[in-house]
Amino acid sequence: MSFNYDELSHTEIFDLLRQWRENNERRSEDVLYFSEVIVEDPLHKLGSEKYVVMEQVIYAALDCHYYTIAKLWIMMLSEEFPGSLRVLRYKAACLEAEEKYEEAMEVLDSIIKADETNSAARKRRVAILKAQGLIQEAIKELVDYLKKFMSDMEAWQELSELYLQVQEYSKAAFCAEELILHQPHNHLMHQRLADIRYTMGGVDNLELAKSYYCQALKLNPDNMRALLGLFLVTNTLLSHYKSSGSAKRKEAFKLSQWAQSEATKIQRKAQPPPTIPALTNMMLSLAVTD
Amino acid sequence: MAELLLDPKIRLWVFLPIVIITFLVGIVRHYVSIILSSQKKIEIIQVQDSQVMIRARLLRENGKYLPRQSFAMRRHWFNNEDTGYFKVQKRAAASQNPMTDPGMMTDMLKGNVTNVLPMIVIGGWINWMFSGFLTTKVPFPLTLRFKPMLQRGVELAYLDASWVSSASWYFLNVFGLRTIYTLVLGENNAADQSKVMQEQMSGAAMAMPPDPKAAFKAEWEALEITEHRWALATAEADLLVNEAKEQ
Amino acid sequence: MSSTKAKDQKPEPVVYSEAALRNNAVVVEYCRTSMAALSGSTAGILGLTGLNGFAFYVFAVVSLWAMFLIKAGPNWHKYYVSRQSVLTNGFFGALFTYVLFWTFIYGMVHVY
Repeated sequence: MSFNYDELSHTEIFDLLRQWRENNERRSEDVLYFSEVIVEDPLHKLGSEKYVVMEQVIYAALDCHYYTIAKLWIMMLSEEFPGSLRVLRYKAACLEAEEKYEEAMEVLDSIIKADETNSAARKRRVAILKAQGLIQEAIKELVDYLKKFMSDMEAWQELSELYLQVQEYSKAAFCAEELILHQPHNHLMHQRLADIRYTMGGVDNLELAKSYYCQALKLNPDNMRALLGLFLVTNTLLSHYKSSGSAKRKEAFKLSQWAQSEATKIQRKAQPPPTIPALTNMMLSLAVTD
Repeated sequence: MAELLLDPKIRLWVFLPIVIITFLVGIVRHYVSIILSSQKKIEIIQVQDSQVMIRARLLRENGKYLPRQSFAMRRHWFNNEDTGYFKVQKRAAASQNPMTDPGMMTDMLKGNVTNVLPMIVIGGWINWMFSGFLTTKVPFPLTLRFKPMLQRGVELAYLDASWVSSASWYFLNVFGLRTIYTLVLGENNAADQSKVMQEQMSGAAMAMPPDPKAAFKAEWEALEITEHRWALATAEADLLVNEAKEQ
Repeated sequence: MSSTKAKDQKPEPVVYSEAALRNNAVVVEYCRTSMAALSGSTAGILGLTGLNGFAFYVFAVVSLWAMFLIKAGPNWHKYYVSRQSVLTNGFFGALFTYVLFWTFIYGMVHVY
């Protein structure tokens, strides 16, 4: 999708901007380019959509590190809405982008003070802590946040990732389970929990990981990562069950075989460039020779 | 056409104005209510309550995707006799008397001002201004039961029930135009996509239970009787069965 | 009607996109109200009375339904959960609008 940007009329520009907004496309440089065209006259004819466009431009400017432009637009907005918390949040974002974390924190605190239920500001605080590398503090902050906003999926996901960073796998698994509760039909969620369980190790966890990988594959048969995970898990399980034998071992063996054949099929379909060694071979080298 | 002949001037000066007035009053009321509706200040505790309710509901519905132990752990956290969330959190029962809560009272007042008051005022005014006219005739026969409904202000025992008096015509319009308002005003709202998006994002959180104590108790009960059935028990077998089918 | 529901490859679990469903329902409702208003006006201008008018309403509803199905094409299940609900939902709500417009236009044209 390429446009000759100079030839677009103003309405076309706004349509394009709206389309990007709705699809969550970032395209910051393009947005900034347009902002120069529309800043003068056409923006003021836009009515209430104007402010959303201005917001888009501000974030685009921050993305591209044009702080002065962002500040200019924020000024324009704060003239229209003095004392608006939303505008205050842009200021915090701007400070944050400039890495003035202390000041950004102050602004965010003032937002939270004014409106206790402002979840976006609270989450930004966590993000700032994370940006500073204070993972433990970020976790603490996020846990506090989740005590208040228990069904915020994004936050659970972030917490899960933070816990993974500090290698608290059981806690990360808890968060991943929470994600499954929210989206039981998303194969990535199952795969994520399975990854964590596999990393934790131990027969029980491996069994769980196997189940979740299977569920992920059931939901999306093309999930290569889950397929590989299933293969690895079943192989590890096979080595665990060496002594016990029995039905469990049989099942694991079957699954391992199945994963292997499935991977071969997908591999054949994909026809990789020759430089990449075939995944099947890699898996074969890992396989437990029975 | 009919046994009664109506003066065409009634059409111009009564029938049409009532429709137009009702319609415009509805539009004005919509915008007045927008002006009056204050940004509701939401207490953090209410947000927390509603989010807890959502989480408990999700646990009930999707708990089968978790291992038994994880499910039991979460339920324990919610329902334990001594330390469970639903047991520990003591919420005041919803205030029985809304008059004690000034915020509630202004809300009620605003609701009345925008909904009931214009109905009464405009209705009364129309009754007074256009009293005693027969305005129109519904194009289908009606039984006598409808007479008091359709012929308010015109008490003629021998008049056919399908004639409509001016006051009744007003009320018919008030109720019948509702869908038209959604057509006219809903279009305006739909134009502002960003607003809709935002409401969707925060909407789930903001719908708070009116009476947290009762809601907690109901959720506690529901969670208590939820049985855990491990949904992934057959996941492996399913995969292998599909495989067998393909071959 | 552009939005579609998310669908799994597998036949057993079908996942619907809540927002898309709601959007489709709103569009259908919008068309239905417009249809009720327009057909009500038509009936009024034509001067239909009694059962004829109600028969005309049923005709309008069914033809709107047929138009939906033609527009949706063979992939109707991509947009609606069931075809019947498109026909029956809001049947009586729209009937009220229809009667109002019918009465209004009939009164304007034929009574005086």
